[in-house]
Amino acid sequence: MTTYILRRLVQTLMVIVILSYVCFSLMTLMPGDPVELMISANPKITQEDVVRLRAFYGLDQPTYVRYFNWVGEIAKGDLGYSRTYRIPVTEMMGPSLKATFVLSMGSLIFSILIGVPLGIYCALKPNSKMDYVVNMFNFGGISLPSFFLGIVLIIIFSVGLGWLPAGGYQTTGMHYDSWFAEMLDKAKYLILPILSLSVQSIGRFSRFARSAMVEAMRNDFIRTARAKGMSEKVVIWKHGFRNALIPLITIVAISFSSVFSGALITESLFAYPGVGRLIYTSIIGNDFNVAMISFIISIAMVLVMNLVADLLYGAADPRISYK
Amino acid sequence: MKNLTGLLVVAMLVAACTKKDAGQTADVQAQGGAKLTNNELKIGISQEFENFNPLISSMLATTYMQRMVNRTLVTIDADGKWVPQLAKAIPSIEAGTAKVIKVGGKEKIQATWELLDNAVWGDGTPITCDDFSLAVKIASSPNVGVGEKEVYTQVEKIELVDKNPKKCLFTYEKAKWDFYMLGTFYPVPKQLEEAVFKKYGSQKEGYEKNSIYSKEPTNVGLFNGPYVISELQLGDHVTFVPNPKFYGTQPHIKKIIVKLIPNTGTLEANLRSGTIDLISTLGLALDQALAFEKKIKSENLGYQVLFQPSTVYEHIDLNLDNPFLKDVRVRKALNFAINKEDLVNALFEGKQQPAIHSVTPRDPWFTADPAKVTVYKYNKREAERLLDEAGWKPGADGIRVKDGKRLSFTVMTTAGNKTRELVQVYLQNQWKQVGIEVNAKNEPARVFFGETTKKRAFDSMALFAWVSSPENTPKSTFSSKNIPTAKNGWSGQNYMGWSNAAVDKTLDALDTEMKHEKRIEMVHEVLKAYTDEVPVLPLYYRSDVAVIPTQLKGYRLTGHQFPETNVVENWNLE
Repeated sequence: MTTYILRRLVQTLMVIVILSYVCFSLMTLMPGDPVELMISANPKITQEDVVRLRAFYGLDQPTYVRYFNWVGEIAKGDLGYSRTYRIPVTEMMGPSLKATFVLSMGSLIFSILIGVPLGIYCALKPNSKMDYVVNMFNFGGISLPSFFLGIVLIIIFSVGLGWLPAGGYQTTGMHYDSWFAEMLDKAKYLILPILSLSVQSIGRFSRFARSAMVEAMRNDFIRTARAKGMSEKVVIWKHGFRNALIPLITIVAISFSSVFSGALITESLFAYPGVGRLIYTSIIGNDFNVAMISFIISIAMVLVMNLVADLLYGAADPRISYK
Repeated sequence: MKNLTGLLVVAMLVAACTKKDAGQTADVQAQGGAKLTNNELKIGISQEFENFNPLISSMLATTYMQRMVNRTLVTIDADGKWVPQLAKAIPSIEAGTAKVIKVGGKEKIQATWELLDNAVWGDGTPITCDDFSLAVKIASSPNVGVGEKEVYTQVEKIELVDKNPKKCLFTYEKAKWDFYMLGTFYPVPKQLEEAVFKKYGSQKEGYEKNSIYSKEPTNVGLFNGPYVISELQLGDHVTFVPNPKFYGTQPHIKKIIVKLIPNTGTLEANLRSGTIDLISTLGLALDQALAFEKKIKSENLGYQVLFQPSTVYEHIDLNLDNPFLKDVRVRKALNFAINKEDLVNALFEGKQQPAIHSVTPRDPWFTADPAKVTVYKYNKREAERLLDEAGWKPGADGIRVKDGKRLSFTVMTTAGNKTRELVQVYLQNQWKQVGIEVNAKNEPARVFFGETTKKRAFDSMALFAWVSSPENTPKSTFSSKNIPTAKNGWSGQNYMGWSNAAVDKTLDALDTEMKHEKRIEMVHEVLKAYTDEVPVLPLYYRSDVAVIPTQLKGYRLTGHQFPETNVVENWNLE
């Protein structure tokens, strides 16, 4: 088991290094550079300024030189300096990662809490009225684009009813008397983005949970368990649900891997200062340092969560072993 | 299940119960009820902003907010005139406060800038010549990534006059007429930044990373304007509160919050739900503003949409290397065939003005006098005559041909820009009427500006805009030295490849011409050549738009690079 984990961690590290070079090269292939953005904002920047700034930022160097310079700085513990925001990357990314984590985790937990029980309920009562209604909701949720749903939610709850703020992260300029007041205020700003993000995930989780559970409940051992006189609760949760866990672990792990990648459209729509928007801005602005750190976090999360999923398979199903 | 639904309902009820006053204001205001007060004003912008270090920052949104907290020696007011801010007066040769001197056979300028006696930083430290000297010193460092370096490096030396720390003698590197145009020359607080520069200035980007602007952006000592920053959250919002040490009139509004709402489609919803009270010029596109103006009228909302002609010039650069476009008669025919009056009325409801050349009506250099520039009024017959004369005869399908070749062009622009795509379609139709075929080929802005225009890789036409400023010498776009080539590293913005020796000479001479009238004459000479030779098809001058609450007074759009925040202290909601 330990050897397996170590082997996978080494593989993960190698994949990160290879993919970081690929991402870096792809970014250099994109037309334009940060200096061009400066020109568009300031008509008085001269030709000499352009040449000087390109040299200053090392934009006149070949890709591999720039990559190794960047890796060298990372190795020294310096994540670099954001060309877009003009502050160190660590100071820029910390609050965004935190904001995105809150939003994505909120949405993930909410989706799992609603979607999985709904799916199981439908699986246990297939072809019932409830099953049809939930299925319809699921397909609707999966098909509904989040940006459209987001706008509808803003129009209803913010413009129409005036219940919830149309966007933001917290009431600007507000000073909180207690952590509870802060939590309550921030929660208000999370409701619409979480709803907008969750409708799709609830549909997805519910569909997966339903099909996995239906499949599990068809097995012979379920019939045997019932014949042995076990209670329905034990049959469903101990025998049925445990066997339905494998596909659910996969989908939850994949969803979990994106908690730090952000949700660009939702974040932009609700003016939420998350990492999705930060990545987008950094790519558009050719802000290499921010974009590369974001890529690496995303890549690492996908790889680590895949490893976690593989380990959880073993915990859920003792037939799977790691030698 | 029931519990979860219950939880959701409870959460919504809590949100409804804890709704803030700020969230109610616009709704109520829209219904003609309670009004906004001077306690708070929330401004929506859709563009990202950065660190507020004035030497380093380059984003438009930062410039917009910078004027609230920092002032410069001079600025341009809403009428387009240069006026003093931190300085008592603008030095001039006529007034004897500036003179041309000769040092080692080279002409230079010396100007005396006297600072306002009560001009101090937010921590009470007086603003002195040393703060300007430090700005020059930092900006001149090869380790600091300053954008427009020449603003600072044009000043060779700053000395005290009569040992007065508020009377500075600036010696400029060159004797240029625009020496007083120091609207982006910001002083840097010596009491805070000198130590940082001394410690980290020798490291590449060491100053930027460790500057107080980065480490402690709410330090009041960094600001000298009517407001100081009390809270800054990059990617979200900036909060401004009055600076009690401001040299001028104290602002009326007690708190201004500038909030970033990146999706322009939701700006209106944010305004109407009270999340913001005002949409700045960095918000709505013109079509969105026109649509919202109609809603304001039909729903009787408490807002006003402001349209202000700006110094942004929308045009088509012609690639003069294209064999068909080498013939000036074809270029003129293209110009004559565009009905610009009809274009601006049909697409912009007349809220943007037709363009005749690169200098906008906001500029003192502007002229529409037919004796000084060639004006192309829509004339289909003249366009057809010119094409006939050039040997282009109508073919079977109506498109003109010559030597077996069709008169066909490609007009390229930024993909996804709805306005430009509409303009493209409009132009295609107009040119088709005189027998010119034009196809559209659009690219994402990054590719279009980063590759296509930069390397002059457009086949014949590139539709985009230039952002200018009043009395800005058009050297970077007109001079043949600025034609981008592989040899010069694709620098320069003369994307047309226009080369006119007389224009080059005039532009060089313009820099050192001290007489205002003579300069205007020279600019008109350049514009005459520009309109005669038609390297560019002028389309229209863009307008800035903003949505403000009707009760807001003292808010005036400027239409140039010194935004309305330049007089933020005059804004009043009561």
